[in-house]
Amino acid sequence: MDTAVQIVVSGLTLGAMYAVGTIGLSLVWGALRMLNMAHGVLIAIGGYFSYQAIDGWGLPMPVALLVAMLAGAAMGALIYFCAARFMFRNEAFENNIFIVTFGLAIALENGILKVFGGYPLAQPFSLDGGFRIGGVYVPWQNVLIVVVSVAVMVVMAQFLAKTRMGRAIRATAQNRDAALLMGVPIGAVFAQVLAIAGSLAALSGVLLSSITTLSPQVGFDPMLKAFIICVIAGLGNVIGALYAAFAMGLFEAAIQFFLGVRFALPLMLLIVIAALIWRPYGVFGKKQVTRL
Amino acid sequence: MAEALLELENIVAGYHNQPVLKGVSLDVAEGSVVMVIGPNGHGKTTLLRCVSGLVSLSSGGIRLAGTRIDGKRADRIVSDGVIHIPQSDLPFQDMSVIDNLMMGAYLTRARADIRRNIEEVFDLLPRLAERRGQTASTLSGGERRMLAIGRGLMAGGRILLVDEPSLGLAPIVIEQIYGILTDLKANGRTILLVEESAARATEIADRVHLLDDGRMIWSGMPADLLKRPEILETYLGG
Amino acid sequence: MSGWKRDLPIGLVVLAALIAAPAFGLPRFWITTVTVFFIWATVVSQWNLVFGVAGIFSLAQMAIFAIGGYTTAMMGLYLEWSLWLALPVSGLLAVVFGAVVGLACLRLTGAYVALLTLAIAYILFLLIVTDTDCVYYEGTVCRSLTEGWKGLGRYGDYGFRDLFGRDFHLGNYGLALAVLTLATLFSFAIVRSPMGLAFRALRDNPGYAVSRGVSRFKYQLLVFALSAFFTGLAGSVYAGVFSVIGPNVLQLGLLLFLLSMMVVGGVGRPWGPLIGAALLMLVDETLKEEAFAGYRNIGLGLILAAVVVLLPQGLAGGIDNLARRLARRGGGAPGE
Repeated sequence: MDTAVQIVVSGLTLGAMYAVGTIGLSLVWGALRMLNMAHGVLIAIGGYFSYQAIDGWGLPMPVALLVAMLAGAAMGALIYFCAARFMFRNEAFENNIFIVTFGLAIALENGILKVFGGYPLAQPFSLDGGFRIGGVYVPWQNVLIVVVSVAVMVVMAQFLAKTRMGRAIRATAQNRDAALLMGVPIGAVFAQVLAIAGSLAALSGVLLSSITTLSPQVGFDPMLKAFIICVIAGLGNVIGALYAAFAMGLFEAAIQFFLGVRFALPLMLLIVIAALIWRPYGVFGKKQVTRL
Repeated sequence: MAEALLELENIVAGYHNQPVLKGVSLDVAEGSVVMVIGPNGHGKTTLLRCVSGLVSLSSGGIRLAGTRIDGKRADRIVSDGVIHIPQSDLPFQDMSVIDNLMMGAYLTRARADIRRNIEEVFDLLPRLAERRGQTASTLSGGERRMLAIGRGLMAGGRILLVDEPSLGLAPIVIEQIYGILTDLKANGRTILLVEESAARATEIADRVHLLDDGRMIWSGMPADLLKRPEILETYLGG
Repeated sequence: MSGWKRDLPIGLVVLAALIAAPAFGLPRFWITTVTVFFIWATVVSQWNLVFGVAGIFSLAQMAIFAIGGYTTAMMGLYLEWSLWLALPVSGLLAVVFGAVVGLACLRLTGAYVALLTLAIAYILFLLIVTDTDCVYYEGTVCRSLTEGWKGLGRYGDYGFRDLFGRDFHLGNYGLALAVLTLATLFSFAIVRSPMGLAFRALRDNPGYAVSRGVSRFKYQLLVFALSAFFTGLAGSVYAGVFSVIGPNVLQLGLLLFLLSMMVVGGVGRPWGPLIGAALLMLVDETLKEEAFAGYRNIGLGLILAAVVVLLPQGLAGGIDNLARRLARRGGGAPGE
């Protein structure tokens, strides 16, 4: 019984963080057909800005979270204005933007290394203490992570469903030409999507680093996991990604418990490979008809 | 004759350096319905895509009320008042009918105007009012076409570009769609209409052009078209 | 074909210069650096076939390379084979691995292929760095199969020390140059072959090419497998030259470095990998200088991003365009 509670608690915590990180990646793919390889470094940027805001500038935690999200949004917008803007009309965009964001990611990661050094730091965005469910100790930090993540997801869902900007993002993702014909300035939409994705990645970086440690590479594994989740859900399928994120969190917690940490990521990657071979368009994804 | 609202002057355009349109000129007068007919693959859709800015011209010019619009970004051309209702399956499939209509009003900021526009569209297309909460992909072919038209009307605009509204629909549904277009004409809308067959030309068009292999091969009144059996034979499939 | 008429003489001159360079007193440091260049250029030339010519966005190239290197190391260490014997076996095992990766990718396109192959490479990396289960003991020291982070060593070399004594690095130089020459000839042959044309057709107009009976499946698998052979050989040569091979060959930084070579040189251009590898090696040596300490990867990352944005055809493409423009200005030079 305690085992089950333990797995559910850490699984939900992981799932919540993955969900927040994955929504952004999925939105960006949906709207731009772009795999953002800088996602991992955006996660790290969030973590470091929160660290700097709290330990360096002495700001309170909620403000620090905001600072981190703003920094992520600014980086995301920068990726649009410095790179994607010149490229998205090109036929080779999908491959080229992958390479460009890969290059930016390595540059930024080493920039962080230069500024903060490579030693792991402790994320000050955290709560002490906890409570017990039966024999299982649940830290308040895990509760905080789940609460913040769920709140952000609810806000995002409302934003996409109800606002003018949210509708324009969905419309652009479904049919770029038709959105243009409605008068949607798709360049601005792309910049917004990248900024939103950047702020969500930064937020997930603050949460992630609060239960591990902060290092320049902190975002790489979570980025791969976010990709796995996206692929299983079908790239661009935001709702599917949410389910897949929680499923993945629970699955990872279970593997860690029964098989050990060593096999968690390799097994997840093997699953994604199997999933891709079995259903190339994602388990929940629909096959898209490519026009000739 | 009224001043032309839309003027196409000798436009050449295509894809991958292969011209599809090889010098096309055309005027659409304010308040009139102009119809371009021609076989598939001969540039009708490209013609509309040029006007709305989705395809750029290699030469020639397009004027709206005397001002050049070619070379402008597509979303700017929309805000100038050129509303393009594209072919077949272009509604936003995973969005509800009402969200699709809201997208049509993307450039309208005032909520009161949007609400009034929606009422007007529902008056004209009552079927859409019944289906308002439904996802677009669950609509029938005819309803999708109505949604596309309704979405175009939401934007207001000065001229409607309508791409093959009868494509792939049952005769009874085509009848309904043309009923709507006739209503629009009666309301004084300016429409540039593209169709594969000339069947409907006489009942709605003020002027007809034949587009063949990227060139206008005949222009005139719909009534004159009836006097030209060789054209009727080719384009009415007679 | 006019391509060969231009490329063959250029290639022979370059080859002759490279063979002669050590005789003209190229310093030992540069001989080693150029040997490394040969190895990376081999890998990039084959990657260019997969990505640039066949249009498969695979990131598994260094995984294939690692398979070649580790195979050689393990055969030397555990079976005590001569590395010369291990060399072809490494190439063949790499082919098998490449074919499996190719099979897994065949139904996918673009970004999905990149993700899948990145996942494969990363699994390999994770399994090696977390490998701590002892397979045997040396005294009280536990040895695992791949030696985890430390990597494998003490499996011998290609025997140039016995042959040339102090000048053993010349043997390494020659071997790496030989492999690069074969790999480059192979890649030119593929680009100019009917298969290369079929690939161009597939890349430029997939729908049309498929409808004309060009089989994507068959050609992609073939190019994956064939290019894996020379990549595996390069891995094997690397293992022999450095006498150690570790998981660092699977790190993202190196993958990025090689990707930059391909992109800067010009994706899909037969000369691209050589130009790109040479240039990036030079840039890298410069950035390694004291004054740029810590900025190496920042510089590489920004260069890669900037080239894709500003010069998507790479240097080889830029040179081609420039030559064509000059020829046109020259009033229709002969041969155009």
